[in-house]
Amino acid sequence: MVICEKPDAARRVSDALSGGASRIEQIEGTTVFRFNRKGEEFVVCAAQGHLYDVSDPSEERTVYPVFDVEWYSSDLVDEESRSAARRISAIRKLALGASKFVNACDFDVEGETIGYNLLKYTCGGKEKSALRATFSTLTEEDLVKAFDNLKPQAGSGLARAGRTRHAIDFVWGVNLSRALSQSALGSGHRYRTVSIGRVQGPTLGFLVEREREIRTFVPVPYWKTSGTFEGDGMSFTAEYSKERFETKQSANKIREECVGRQAIATAVRRRTIQVGPPVPFSIGDLQKEAYRLFGYTPSRTLQIAEKLYLGALISYPRTGSQRLPPSINYRRIIQSSGRIPAYSAHASELLKGELKPVQGAKSDAAHPAIHPTGEKPKRPLEASESAVFDLVVRRFFAAFGPSARRELAEATLAVGEHEFSLVGGRTTFPGWMKYYGRYSGYRDVEIPRVSDGDRFRVVGVALEEKFERMPPRYNQSSLLEKMEREEIGTKATRAEIIATLVERGYVSGENMEVTDLGLSVVETMAEYAPSIISTELTRQIEGKLEVVEGGGGGEAELLRETVRSLVGQLAELSANEEEVGREIDSALTAAVAKSFVLGKCPVCKAGNLRIIRSKATKKRFVGCSNYSSGCRASAPLPQKGSLRAASKPCERCSWPVIYVVGGRRPWRLCVNPNCPGKGKP
Amino acid sequence: MKCPVCGREAVTDLCRYHVEAKGKVEVAYPHWVKAYGNMGWEDFLDNVKRNPQSGQWVKEIAEFLRG
Repeated sequence: MVICEKPDAARRVSDALSGGASRIEQIEGTTVFRFNRKGEEFVVCAAQGHLYDVSDPSEERTVYPVFDVEWYSSDLVDEESRSAARRISAIRKLALGASKFVNACDFDVEGETIGYNLLKYTCGGKEKSALRATFSTLTEEDLVKAFDNLKPQAGSGLARAGRTRHAIDFVWGVNLSRALSQSALGSGHRYRTVSIGRVQGPTLGFLVEREREIRTFVPVPYWKTSGTFEGDGMSFTAEYSKERFETKQSANKIREECVGRQAIATAVRRRTIQVGPPVPFSIGDLQKEAYRLFGYTPSRTLQIAEKLYLGALISYPRTGSQRLPPSINYRRIIQSSGRIPAYSAHASELLKGELKPVQGAKSDAAHPAIHPTGEKPKRPLEASESAVFDLVVRRFFAAFGPSARRELAEATLAVGEHEFSLVGGRTTFPGWMKYYGRYSGYRDVEIPRVSDGDRFRVVGVALEEKFERMPPRYNQSSLLEKMEREEIGTKATRAEIIATLVERGYVSGENMEVTDLGLSVVETMAEYAPSIISTELTRQIEGKLEVVEGGGGGEAELLRETVRSLVGQLAELSANEEEVGREIDSALTAAVAKSFVLGKCPVCKAGNLRIIRSKATKKRFVGCSNYSSGCRASAPLPQKGSLRAASKPCERCSWPVIYVVGGRRPWRLCVNPNCPGKGKP
Repeated sequence: MKCPVCGREAVTDLCRYHVEAKGKVEVAYPHWVKAYGNMGWEDFLDNVKRNPQSGQWVKEIAEFLRG
């Protein structure tokens, strides 16, 4: 009996091992595959992600602290996981007739935990005797190799680390959530879950720290100067060598002392530098690059990459590795990828030489860096899948390319004691950039052809008043990078943690602006339970989980330590319940009030358009807060789905635009029923 | 006591955010005076309020201080 992590993986495993000759059966509504291989009868089934979760064994849902946790089938923990019960029942039935068990879930902490729990709780304690199939791609070749080389499952630190992580995160989340929610309730607010996860706390802390810098930023003026030069039939501009002047007077002085004078070109220098290829993709690198190039959020990129993996088009994406071992067979992958017309010319070129990829510093014992498998898509890919697939293939090819060469050009134009600079650069040999194509991002900036001693006339000096810029908000990509740098979260969970901050209303989704609720949660924690938002504590736990993952043990002590550190923090929160409640309550009230405001009223230009529910019909509609002063602006609203105001009003009519969330994907709507661009806000 | 600018709980006469913003506005003023050679306090507040690079709490406190 083979247990896979997802139904698509089960189908691929069955096809690979049976040569496409498996029989499909339905057991209690769950698809399973049967076939014979080398004289043994196989049955392959799949989980659907986690089928077991940790929870509190007591019935009481408001009391804290809670330190006893148990594993339950997911349907008992979360009502939305009803299908888990059916799937568990089907797997249990199949296990009764099985003599050997193989865990073929993804080879990482989560996959190992999923497989371990099923073997332990559903298959009657087979977690120690089961075998393990490990693979990094779902290609036939890799799967057959994995099943011909099964390893013992027992003693895996991955499952122990996964189970410990789940227990720690549950204890952390449930206690803080209850402490905060109870405080808000005690302060008179109707019950609403206010929670903060173990990694979410410090992550939200980064955002709040930056938000405060932004909101308290006072720009200071400065000036930049540039000169316009003429001579030798050329006219061009060059920046003054000092980047900024603190006073207008000092910038003006440059103009007075330079205009009309002669400039002499000096220190003209052209040099060539080598630019090495970018390292192969870890999941973090892929997420950052997809954000830079396509604007995809990290969680979206991960979802797309997982679909491509399940389609056997790319290797397992949840990897921290930036290295490509020779065992993946570079030549075969490039040759096969060359069968796709877009890559055939580059593949032929690469195959003429020795194949030695550039390697990054990060490695991952379980999986290599993300790479294509060489398989051709068997169905038309969606635009986003196609974009990520192309990026992965091109990055893989680029890793084998030679260094590119760039010519950098610099020159100084001296006007007495003043100096202006010319700086440019161009690619003289594309090397790997040819394979990476439009993704490489290097631009050519030519400078005028000047030589040492050339003379030009300064015909003008321009002064530009500028202001210091406020620090940029984190975007989903730079926040992911910050989490990596601070070593909090894991490669598999970081994107989800960011998405949860948005979902909980701590951060607005579009520009990662921290909401009043997010500010309040962090400020409250900083005052009463600072460890909860401390990077240090979370990092220490991650470090110890890595030891468990590597087989070093210590999970029981780690759980005890976590509980000990929580106890003190919870006691502080409890002792200050009234103050904590007041703070959270006022943020919740402000958040609720704000959620009804859609934007400025374009009719009276004084009030705000708000979502109002009619007392008579119970239906919601848009009305102006200035109604009592005579403004009659109003509009109907969709009655289903949740509504969220977009950050900008409609370009056609200036009425607010909303997102209606509830169907497969949110849709945008200008609320003005008479908008001239109706349907195209 | 509530902050007269935003209605949050006040720590002195203002909430903690507007106290911080006010402090930064006061620190920035001499830099603006030096940069332009001369600038009155009220002129400075008007400029800060209008500047797109000013933070939200800074704009709010500038408006409050301008009266």
